[in-house]
Amino acid sequence: MADREGMMPQILSEEASEDKGDTARMQTFVGALAIGDLIKTTLGPKGMDKILTPLPGEGSHLSKTTITNDGATILKFIYVDNPAAKILVDISKTQDTMCGDGTTSVVVLAAELLREAEHLVSQRIHPQVICQGFREALEIARKTLDTIAFDHSSDTDAFREDLLKIAKTTLSSKLLTHEKEHFAKLAVDAVLRLKGSGNLDLIQVLKKPGGTLHDSFLEEGFILEKRIGVGQPKRMEDCKIMVANTPMDTDKIKIYGARVKVESFEAVQAVEAAEKDKMKRKVDKILAHGCNVFINRQLIYNYPDQLFKQAGVMAIEHSDFDGMERLAAVLGADIVSTFDNPDKTKLGHCKTIHEMMIGEDKVIQFSGCEKGESCTIVLRGASTHVLDEAERSLHDALAVLSQTVKETRVVWGGGSAEMAMANAVDELARTVEGKKSLAIEAFAKALRQIPTIILDNGGYDSAEIVGQLRALHTRGQTTKGIDIRNGTVGDMKDLGVLESHKSKLSQICAAAEGAEMIVRVDDVIRCAPRRREGV
Amino acid sequence: MAQVSAPIQAWKGHGEQLSKNEKTKDVRRQNIVAARAVADAIRTSLGPRGMDKMIQDAKEGVVITNDGATILKQMAVQHPTAKMLVELSKAQDVEAGDGTTSVVVIAGALLGAAEMLLNKGLHPQAIAEAFLQASNKSVEILREMSTSVDLNDRDVLIKNAATSLSSKVVSQNAAQLAPIAVDAVMKALDPANPDNVDLNDIRVVKKLGGTVDDTELVEGLVFTQQKVVRSAGGRSFVKDANVGLIQFCLSPPKTDIENNITIKDYQAMDRLLREERLILAKMIKQIAATGCNVLLIQKSILRDATTDMSLDYLAKAKILVVQDIEREDVEFICRTLGCEPVASLDAFTSDKLGHADMVCEEDVGGEGKIARVTGVKGKGTVSVLIRASNQLTLDEAERSLHDALCVVRSLVKEKALIPGGGAPEMELSQKLNEWGRSLPGVQSLCVKAFADALEVIPYTLAENAGLNPIEIVTELRNRHAAGEKHAGVNVRKGAISDILEENVLQPLLVNTSAVRLSTEAVMLILKIDDMVLSR
Repeated sequence: MADREGMMPQILSEEASEDKGDTARMQTFVGALAIGDLIKTTLGPKGMDKILTPLPGEGSHLSKTTITNDGATILKFIYVDNPAAKILVDISKTQDTMCGDGTTSVVVLAAELLREAEHLVSQRIHPQVICQGFREALEIARKTLDTIAFDHSSDTDAFREDLLKIAKTTLSSKLLTHEKEHFAKLAVDAVLRLKGSGNLDLIQVLKKPGGTLHDSFLEEGFILEKRIGVGQPKRMEDCKIMVANTPMDTDKIKIYGARVKVESFEAVQAVEAAEKDKMKRKVDKILAHGCNVFINRQLIYNYPDQLFKQAGVMAIEHSDFDGMERLAAVLGADIVSTFDNPDKTKLGHCKTIHEMMIGEDKVIQFSGCEKGESCTIVLRGASTHVLDEAERSLHDALAVLSQTVKETRVVWGGGSAEMAMANAVDELARTVEGKKSLAIEAFAKALRQIPTIILDNGGYDSAEIVGQLRALHTRGQTTKGIDIRNGTVGDMKDLGVLESHKSKLSQICAAAEGAEMIVRVDDVIRCAPRRREGV
Repeated sequence: MAQVSAPIQAWKGHGEQLSKNEKTKDVRRQNIVAARAVADAIRTSLGPRGMDKMIQDAKEGVVITNDGATILKQMAVQHPTAKMLVELSKAQDVEAGDGTTSVVVIAGALLGAAEMLLNKGLHPQAIAEAFLQASNKSVEILREMSTSVDLNDRDVLIKNAATSLSSKVVSQNAAQLAPIAVDAVMKALDPANPDNVDLNDIRVVKKLGGTVDDTELVEGLVFTQQKVVRSAGGRSFVKDANVGLIQFCLSPPKTDIENNITIKDYQAMDRLLREERLILAKMIKQIAATGCNVLLIQKSILRDATTDMSLDYLAKAKILVVQDIEREDVEFICRTLGCEPVASLDAFTSDKLGHADMVCEEDVGGEGKIARVTGVKGKGTVSVLIRASNQLTLDEAERSLHDALCVVRSLVKEKALIPGGGAPEMELSQKLNEWGRSLPGVQSLCVKAFADALEVIPYTLAENAGLNPIEIVTELRNRHAAGEKHAGVNVRKGAISDILEENVLQPLLVNTSAVRLSTEAVMLILKIDDMVLSR
């Protein structure tokens, strides 16, 4: 009993560990800041890219090198072994699924909030007080964001102009920045075709190496990378399309060891003929649907292929599963596996199907589809790296646009929104009494870090310009932001830098929430790894 | 237990902590060094006096080639940016088919220029932007100095193909291969679609033996893998042939469901044998009745496509048989012969047959024979039979021919010509320098560096030809400054001359796409500032 003080009873299991108080807090802060610092340099139009290389050895032949600027992609692929860092990664993922864009900003903002919080904690301010301050500051920031937001959705032309600007703003921080005019137009055209449905599945992105980014184009309809069966019509007008998933060799009985016993070759031949006949009947049944195009997910063998040819039907075999579902959706068709009820089966329709050439390959284009919204963006570029990154960038732009079509409010970008919010929050800090005001002030500081980092990435004098911006915003010029091309203060109205209100809002909310969650942590427990049975 | 630094190390990798700026500089330098190493490796194979590389792959196979794309494909590069250059060369191969070495050499030179600019402290994005502008301007300049070409002018086309071939191993045979390439493309050109050619319509087959001189263009089909079946004493040539292509098997019936034939006594066995003969005889009779005297049989995996007995019957019916036709080739064969594939015996009618003046088996010296089908009705397809005395030359000849075909195709795509021999690059360099002087600040500096980098092409050409590169390049510069637009390095004479007079011409597309693609790749490399290990 004497050495009770020295002996801690073992509470946690052997391999588990616990960190408490300051150690725990430091661990979480350091982890989160490290993540923030890692992707901070990708922020803004002058942000840089990262190469992601798979670890040599394990499965490196499977995953390949990626070059990207997209926060969500970077965070998805890096090794993270820190609970706080994982929270930030999650925030970024959420932002990606919610808005598709702003994945870097949200993490950077959260990290900056934590940097401020760390400072405050070291000044002996209680984490709960910090959280309260952050919450109040967030409230004000949201209100400010609402007031500076505006809406052009009633005016089609102005709205389209807005969308173009948003797309350009999103793309300007990506690889596509040099071709942003071109791609912004592609993205806006594609999204406007959706007519507000926001179903991005209808936009197909096809990557074909060769050519340059500028050669990328938008095709209406759907493109399938398959060949049409031999000798069948290569062009079909007014198509009635059946989309099927059925074996086109023979319908076999799926019982092991099933066999026929016969006594002569003629009987074997008879069975063979019967099998063939069965196939023919199947094809007849399919033809009874009145389709003139038949697309099957599985192979179509020679015999049925010939039958289709005789019937003047275009048959496309072995289309992949993903493309299949999309195709069915685009054409408005069911995917069929049984053919007994012609009247109940829904066939797909489109105006024309024909072969076209992209680069060195021939593909099949479906145009004038049932769902007029559908379209395909064909990306061209020097290498698969370029194409992959272009696809990611385009996805971001499309996601933002489709969100904006739904929630039409927009705000000026270029750091102007952040500056406006920061000023409003500062205003609040002056009126609040007690320690909380320090936390509120910290929130404003963190917001101001966004334009600072954008400028730093561009290699400009951030302190000078952010100072100027702050003064201008205090005087009420809330449209002033960063002119990144010249490294000066500029009016966002003239530069046409727009961002989606929804994305910005979700950025600050998610960042504040994530930061708060991490600030409140005072204990990190690592559980013992689960044991494998029998080891 | 507090592993504070562990999460940071998890992705910093080597445990060495560098300050951010130092690290990004380091990463960028490494990237550039790696990429330039690749460019340097293939530099010596540029131009007509360029050397070949011998590559030994992991499986002890040896490749000797001069084709940039092939060298890079075989070199198992590790570094991500090095891989990007490999991709770049591939893209050029897809787009223009030629200039795969130049594109990498230019990219290497541009990276060198970029490195110099980075050392001056310029922002990588600014360099990237200026390079893009310079590249756009280059395309303009190249367009201006190009001359348009008429596709009916066979001589000019042949000259072009010859230029491309002159830098290959098979350059001695350029005079022979060039017309083949031109004629092949012209045959495959679809009048309905005069701006592109599907090179899949040109079937290149190779057969060991003979010399490259024996390479020929065949208007029809050549089978090297598939043999005329002689085992049953069939015919080896047929004049005025009616060719049928069947996708079913000439063998005893076999059902998809497993079957057993029960034999009770010897009589039953005799009966079976008789039946088998009867069934086959009936099939062959029906085939012969259509007037078919040449039969192509598709390969079958599940069962024997032919049996000794059926071959014997076919031989008796005086039908020449070629078996083991691949399913992928069916479409090409059908288009060439104007026949239709037949998947079941009952559908075999005389209208499915294609016509050829002559089908024969040819002894080509050494081992092996080929089957040749000539005098066909089909349009838009053509075959080229490549011969060479050893496997290495054979493969290289195929690659060179592919390049030549691509060159002609690029002329079809963009009907303009430009002199070779480093003349366009020197002209570009001059014009860009001039244009650069009119630009403000950083841009001017970058454009000048871009312009100087392009001189690498004439420099390397001269160097590889064993000339004094500095002397040649400076003189060339003088001549261009004096307004001799078409002056270039004449490798054969070892001096500078008007390239147009030498008839060294190449398609505009090769040059424009080389400049554009290499700029795109360089821009991507410049934007990278970090390498992160990923999962």
